[in-house]
Amino acid sequence: MRGLFILAAVVLVSGCAPDASAPIGTAERFYRALTSGQPDAACLLLAPRTAAKLPDEGESCGQALAKLGLEGGQVERAAVWGEEAQVSLAEDTLFLHRYADGWRIKAAGCEPRPELPFDCEVED
Amino acid sequence: MKIRQNALSLVFLLLFLAALVGQAFAGTADYNERQLVDGGSTLSVLAYVASSDFAVDVAENWQSEYLQFFLFVIVTVWLIQRGSTESKEPGKEGAESDKDQKIGEHAEPDSPAWAKVGGFRRWLFSNSLGLTMGIIFLLSWLSQSIAGVAAGNAQRLSELRDPISWGEYVLAPEFWNRTLQNWQSEFLAVASMVVLSIYLRQRGSPESKPVGESHEATGNSG
Repeated sequence: MRGLFILAAVVLVSGCAPDASAPIGTAERFYRALTSGQPDAACLLLAPRTAAKLPDEGESCGQALAKLGLEGGQVERAAVWGEEAQVSLAEDTLFLHRYADGWRIKAAGCEPRPELPFDCEVED
Repeated sequence: MKIRQNALSLVFLLLFLAALVGQAFAGTADYNERQLVDGGSTLSVLAYVASSDFAVDVAENWQSEYLQFFLFVIVTVWLIQRGSTESKEPGKEGAESDKDQKIGEHAEPDSPAWAKVGGFRRWLFSNSLGLTMGIIFLLSWLSQSIAGVAAGNAQRLSELRDPISWGEYVLAPEFWNRTLQNWQSEFLAVASMVVLSIYLRQRGSPESKPVGESHEATGNSG
């Protein structure tokens, strides 16, 4: 029986009491950088594979990000499960992953599609 | 001497712990391999053991094992299998008499205290094995569902999908796939043991009849 209580405690610690403030903070810093004309700073908040995949040949990550004209708005809600998070803003939905040095954005500019994954302008 | 008298329990507890530690290391390696493919980050063994991925894998196996024993304990009260060591003899179906069960006035000096008394305590003790197995099954299944929705939602978010609620998860194909793939193997194992113990022997094992015992003999062990 003691094993079950430990298991329940593990579940509570790992899955059911997530802190959404850190991924929300990354999402807010991302859009603050974009709206203040610092797309290169916003790029530093992208997950490594997302940042590498974004630019076309001959352009920087910041240039590619600025070209997309993403709009965020107020944070409406956030969900954190394990190492993954979703932050929904008034104009956008972001997907984030927790790395050793903090939360990074895996996908941005995402539109929901019925029964399918979100369609994202920036993703890995 | 005490170790020898408890050797069966001790060996299985040690095997359980060794297998759980093995699962923790193998599970961490598997999780990290998938994370590298998906561009994610790796976890230490300790962080993995505290994750919902580990919890759901543990709980889904526990619930099916305890369901197996719960059903075995309860169903064998009423159903028999002629010739099987796992069955009572034909004619003894049901809860049996107080005399057969050594309860109340039929209790013996060394009978457990709650077998000698009446009322709720006797009822509770008379059903304590099945109830305990059943409660552990339900708690494990609940743990599987809670850890499962956490692990499943992490997976859904990594696939750029919305998370779902616990209520949606327990109706989702993933929950029932995890559950039923464990149940089917447990039910097959029980059916195999019930039937094979009619015709096959393991000399010296209490799970088997004596080697020379008739195939017709039910409930004997040697």
